[in-house]
Amino acid sequence: MKNDREGQLKIYQLFSPVLYGICLKYMKNEDDAKDVFQEAFVIAFQKISQYKFEGSFEGWLKRIFINKLIETLNKKKKESFFLDVFDPDTDFVEEEELEAIPIEQEKLLEYIRDLPDQYRTVFNLYVFEKMKHREIAELLKISEGTSKSNLNRAKHILQKRILSIKNFKTA
Amino acid sequence: MKKHKIEDIFSSMEDFSSVPPPELWSQIEEKLDKPKKKKRVVLWWSAAACLLLGLLLPSILHFTASPENIKINNGGLENSNNSVVLDKKTNDNSNNRNLDQNKNIGKTADSLNHNSTRKNQFSTESGIPVQETSVAETNSKNGTNKKDSKYSTPTPANVPNQSVAFQNYSSYEDKSIAKSSSKSILGNNNSKASNKGITEERIAFGKQTKFNSAPKKQLSNSIFDEQLTVKNNKNLAFNSVNSSVNKSSSANTNAYNSNASIARKNENIRTDKAVIIKDDLKLNNSLSKTDSVQLAELQNLEKGILAPEKQKEEEEKKNNLIDKKERWAVAVFAGVASSENTKNEKTLGNVNDSKQSNSFGVKTKYSINKKWAVGSGLKINELGQSVANVSYLTAKSNAFFAPDSYPVASSNAPAQDYLLISNSTKEALKSENVQTGKLDQNLRYIEMPLEVSYSIFNKNKASINLNTGGFVGKLISNNVNLDGHSIGENMNANDYVYGSTLSSTVQYRVYKKTNVFVEPAMNYYINPLNSQSFNQFQWGLNFGLNVSF
Repeated sequence: MKNDREGQLKIYQLFSPVLYGICLKYMKNEDDAKDVFQEAFVIAFQKISQYKFEGSFEGWLKRIFINKLIETLNKKKKESFFLDVFDPDTDFVEEEELEAIPIEQEKLLEYIRDLPDQYRTVFNLYVFEKMKHREIAELLKISEGTSKSNLNRAKHILQKRILSIKNFKTA
Repeated sequence: MKKHKIEDIFSSMEDFSSVPPPELWSQIEEKLDKPKKKKRVVLWWSAAACLLLGLLLPSILHFTASPENIKINNGGLENSNNSVVLDKKTNDNSNNRNLDQNKNIGKTADSLNHNSTRKNQFSTESGIPVQETSVAETNSKNGTNKKDSKYSTPTPANVPNQSVAFQNYSSYEDKSIAKSSSKSILGNNNSKASNKGITEERIAFGKQTKFNSAPKKQLSNSIFDEQLTVKNNKNLAFNSVNSSVNKSSSANTNAYNSNASIARKNENIRTDKAVIIKDDLKLNNSLSKTDSVQLAELQNLEKGILAPEKQKEEEEKKNNLIDKKERWAVAVFAGVASSENTKNEKTLGNVNDSKQSNSFGVKTKYSINKKWAVGSGLKINELGQSVANVSYLTAKSNAFFAPDSYPVASSNAPAQDYLLISNSTKEALKSENVQTGKLDQNLRYIEMPLEVSYSIFNKNKASINLNTGGFVGKLISNNVNLDGHSIGENMNANDYVYGSTLSSTVQYRVYKKTNVFVEPAMNYYINPLNSQSFNQFQWGLNFGLNVSF
């Protein structure tokens, strides 16, 4: 038991920064992120025997955390927050290429967390987890169209935020 | 200025990391201690619930059946096509069997007169005075019969009998072992790394007391510590303890580093391991106690991380060994069972009530694989029913001792003969000599089931299996009691019965290869009697001990 705990602590020490970072990206406020972080780690340790050395251990941990995050977000909003259906007319946003302005990670994190839950989740899964819309749709139990729509809207919002910085700086 | 897409701007966030507040670990530790207790509690509660359900169910069914019984009795004449022919116990059992086999005679008896004739026939054939209990029942649908026969017209009835039943069966599923390996991925604060188990890239550990607070790329680059200087990919790096703290052990540090360098050069993990262990053995002499402990931990840790494949192989071997070793299981069990009649069929115009009995036996099981198993065994089981308010005439006080009447003597009560009559006949008789009593019928069998078992849950020490199959039973005891006195046997009972069974085994390993189990089950007897209704459905709850080998 003691050895188990030591091993768990070591895992925690190794992976907690990245996993906590993921929690911060998915949850709007830090308290929620802490809660999910704890719960997900407990689940990971309880299920650690199920890790079959297929793929990286970090990837296995990340999957547990992302599943827990999505579960929490779903619970948070009892009604499905992925009700939006993709409307090609209104949702298609021409991606504007932005000038590379050095922005601090804290600022970027703030922009991500300011996104509505549904947009933020899809954005995180698509941009950071490199998931395809089909996979996101399957995971979130939404249509691919909704996934695309949410991503576009997220990008649109973020684009505006970045542009506002640029305008602020140029002004 | 170079243009970027929004994804590019946020790409730095891909590996964003942040050190969690220190209090979170202690909170996680607290939570880690709780669930195990919860699981155990849940398991015990489940077992208790199964037990309670098994014990209460027969009672509930019994009480729910009682009001119907009263209602029917109050209702007066009831339609019934059952006939019960009781064969009196005699000293010569073979005579009874002889009688039993003469079904044509028994079944085709259309009236008491016919029965009398039959009696004579028996006497002639067997050479032994025949004492027979016969229950003749009027078919109330047949108005002519009612009018013509003062007593009754026994009508051989082919009543479709139905029942469902529990069959107990223990199942055993081999448990895979393999837990320890993945748990020991990382062991202590000393440097320890794997290029296979955790990340594909190099992970180098230094003595790490704090997490990186700067949101730099950590895992993807496998850089965790400010102490790290070695940046070779796909290699192990055993970094030393904090040199600033442990300057005095510079020799040890060097030794570690040499170890690390050896490991770094070798891509083959197993070779690494061998070299490391070998070198570590050499180093042990020169290491301080603390270092020795740390080294031992490293070695243990390495076993967990560096050789997952080897570990897997070992696990598989172990599992195979277990499979081979523990394919067979033997169980002893005992339990309670309650016979029911789901169709509300009647005997002598009365409802067949449930009857509780005990069962016990042994069984063996052979595991085909982790999920499936087949099993068989031997079980003593009893099927029974109670019929309340059965009307009967006793010979002692029977005023109808006419030559064409049908009194039968009982071996247990030699002075008394019994004539069981149906409700409808009772109405016809209107005699003051008609008494009522409770008729109990018990058929005891030795059964041999053949079952298949499927494991639906198997974790840690607990397992749940679903079992289904069929069984064959041999009648070993046949008894009919009237108000607690044995009055003979049921002639319609078949010597051999068959049926189907469905059960679920909840099993918990208490010691090494020994398990305890609870097994709710239901049995359905297809042919307990030839031509009359009988409780064919049986609930049961068995408790047992199972040993695998």
